[in-house]
Amino acid sequence: MKINSPRFAIWLLSLRLRDEWRDFVVGDLEEEFATRSGDSRLAARAWFWWQTMRCLVAPPAVRPHTRQLERLRGDSTMRSLIADVRYALRVMSRTPSFAVAVIGVMALSIGANTAIFSIVNAVLLRPLPLEEPERLVRLFTRTPGGRAFELSPGKFYDWQRDARSFEGMAMYRFSQFALSGTGTARAIKAGAVGVGFFEIVRARPTLGRTFHPEEDTPGGKYVVILSDRFWKTELGGAPDVIGRTLKLNDEAYTIVGVMPASTSVASWAAMACDVWVPIALTDEQRAARGNHNQQGVARLKAGVELSQAQSEMDAISTQLAREFPKTDKGWGAVIILMQEEIVGDSRTMLVMLLGAVGLVLLIACANVGNLLFTRALSRRKEIAIRSALGAGRGRVFQQLLTEALLLAAAGGALGLLLAHGTLTSASTLLASQVPRAEEISIDARVLLFALGVSILTGMLAGTLPAVRAGRSDLNDALKEGGRGDGAIGVGTRRLLIVCEVALSLVLLMGAGVMVQSLLALRHSDTGFDPNNVLTLEVTLVQTRYPTPAQRSSFFAAALQRIRALPGVEAAGTIDDLPLIDGSSQTLGLEGYPLKRDQVAVQVRQVTPGYLRAMRIPVLRGRDIVESDAEVLLVSRDAAKLYWGADDPIGRRATLPFSKTVLRQVVGIVGDVKQRNLIEASTPTVYFYTRERYGRATFVIRTSLRPATLAHPAVAAIRAIDPEQPVGDIRTMMQVLDAGLTPQSESTACSLTSCADAAARSESEPRLARGQPTFFVW
Amino acid sequence: MVISPTMWFRTKAAVLGDFEQLVLLGVLRLELEDAAYGAAIRQEIHARSRRDVSINAVYTTLDRLESKGLLKSWVGDPTPQRGGRRRKFYALRPAGIAALRQAYRAFTAMADGLQARLETK
Repeated sequence: MKINSPRFAIWLLSLRLRDEWRDFVVGDLEEEFATRSGDSRLAARAWFWWQTMRCLVAPPAVRPHTRQLERLRGDSTMRSLIADVRYALRVMSRTPSFAVAVIGVMALSIGANTAIFSIVNAVLLRPLPLEEPERLVRLFTRTPGGRAFELSPGKFYDWQRDARSFEGMAMYRFSQFALSGTGTARAIKAGAVGVGFFEIVRARPTLGRTFHPEEDTPGGKYVVILSDRFWKTELGGAPDVIGRTLKLNDEAYTIVGVMPASTSVASWAAMACDVWVPIALTDEQRAARGNHNQQGVARLKAGVELSQAQSEMDAISTQLAREFPKTDKGWGAVIILMQEEIVGDSRTMLVMLLGAVGLVLLIACANVGNLLFTRALSRRKEIAIRSALGAGRGRVFQQLLTEALLLAAAGGALGLLLAHGTLTSASTLLASQVPRAEEISIDARVLLFALGVSILTGMLAGTLPAVRAGRSDLNDALKEGGRGDGAIGVGTRRLLIVCEVALSLVLLMGAGVMVQSLLALRHSDTGFDPNNVLTLEVTLVQTRYPTPAQRSSFFAAALQRIRALPGVEAAGTIDDLPLIDGSSQTLGLEGYPLKRDQVAVQVRQVTPGYLRAMRIPVLRGRDIVESDAEVLLVSRDAAKLYWGADDPIGRRATLPFSKTVLRQVVGIVGDVKQRNLIEASTPTVYFYTRERYGRATFVIRTSLRPATLAHPAVAAIRAIDPEQPVGDIRTMMQVLDAGLTPQSESTACSLTSCADAAARSESEPRLARGQPTFFVW
Repeated sequence: MVISPTMWFRTKAAVLGDFEQLVLLGVLRLELEDAAYGAAIRQEIHARSRRDVSINAVYTTLDRLESKGLLKSWVGDPTPQRGGRRRKFYALRPAGIAALRQAYRAFTAMADGLQARLETK
């Protein structure tokens, strides 16, 4: 039988107990009452009432809910933070010059860091804007000297047949087409690509299709694929463009496709072309093993490592060297990740620059830390009063750190604007100096970096002053009052200044070494005089100038007209300018046994007038003249390399592309840096022939400013053929400066950093003393 | 001399009062059977220590120990023998076990060698 618990007691408990305890306490009492009732009803009742009385006297307390507590605590933290921020703003507004100086220093250093990180982010961190770029590789041959070199079709097709590590391999090369029929004739960049090129790159046309295999034959149809930019600028983005024709090199090419803008990768020349056509090699060209003039691209199979593919290519190269000892012995294959190939030497330079601006940031931190420390000392009385009123050391620390972080946040925001402004205004300069420059932008990662750097700067600069100020003795501070900071904290301030000066010295030394190297390179003996020389490139249209005689007469006529221009002292042509690199071949000497491992020399096709235009000295013998036919000039190093102590003048030699033609050496000339500024001058052989190439660079020496001659020189060429495009008009000094690019960029940045660091180190003690200071950037 | 890394830090275990120890030990005894609620703990203390404590004192202490982070609690389903009311169950958190261990160690260390005197009737 169920015995009811005392109703009245329960009612009293219900009145007295709070809701959150009522169920548990009354339930427990009822439960135990039921158990006790089994023994004695009376004792159970008495026990129930006794428990009830005790509960009525002291019921369980009601504790605020945990979440409420958290909210309360959060509110308090937030309130104190808001109060700190407000207080910091009031302090800053009281001394705006101090705030402006600190924010300025932080903005400059955070801005410099953010700008450089934006470049690092775009060049090194962001993947290429192509599908699965980590599997995309560039193919090169490895010369017996160990250099990565262009491909020969014969070797490439053997690799393509035997290699199993790749999803596909394709060959391509660049050519220049004369675009006519759409206004003034002009040169456009074309990529001649092999079968599978677009599939390997994963470039899918927005309109039309890619090339069919049967179109990649010499007798195939003239078909062309347009880039998005070309389609929009030249054809107005017409949707019915497929099937229409385009006049390129006087041939009608049928448009079969248009590539989307997303596949245009400015940093990789193959995807930055205006148009693409099939490579269409003849059988003879496909079999050539010694003619290295093609580029190669491939896509690794999924899961295949670069090292595996390289090992396979090494094995194939060894096998080919056994099969074709004459052409392949000593040659190998090199595979480089596309991103690595595009980034090239820029990686080291960018990492170095990031390190340099990182040092600048540290200097700025020490600088601002010193300023904040001096300021905290001058506010000792204020801090002491706050402490006397009950503010703990932690509270004072929080207040001072909040001030530093607020200044850093303002500096960071301003720095971000500075970085954006710098990158925007320097975009043209960057485009000529850094790969992937067009991709440089301030994205989420850069914003996060700027935020992180700002917080780090605030923490680094603010922690020491906040700790030291919170530690000062209350009595001393109150007694000292407004008598100034005296000798307090001198040691800390000195330490900070020593750090700044030491870091500045490191930067200055680095920059000094770079400046010295740059000056040495700029004034190094290139073997020619780059001052007052204008260059312009002309590529003749094959269909209009099919025979060597026609090409020769065009260049002769053009040179004649150019030489007649006022101010022209000398003019000639060369196929590839110095410092740009070009053809490298071996000579066959008449009357000498053929050496097995003969060293290749730089070979250039020139016309009379070139040596005078470049002021390359004739050391012995004579310069070439118009009446010559098939003659050679050799540089001093080339003469030594091939003939040793013998006199080369009057001797004869052959070049690999025309082994039947014996050419006589008529003179020895000075050595010239053909490949780049850093390497020593390269042995060179110049030949003059009636079998002219269709491409040449005019080199014009003038007594005037070279740039003023550009227009008359182009007009002189157009006077012979109005539809002949003229491109790449540069002074020789510009060619030289382009060769200095990586060095000059890093030096310029280091110098800027040093100037900044030195200015701060010098100005800091004055600011700390309250004297006016001007920062010069 | 042994240098232990822990010697550099003061113990962080909470110091327990006498009644708190009894309540925590009660929870420790009952939690394995999922029966550590107010009435059961009160009865356990009563049965073992002979102290007839009030239910409000038990709940007040349980609540305080929970706010110190030594206990956690949850509410069970209503049952008929409790007049359709719910139970509030408790279990020890690691901090509660650490506090109990420390109290136990202190007690046994202090009592070491005194058993003969302490156990006399």
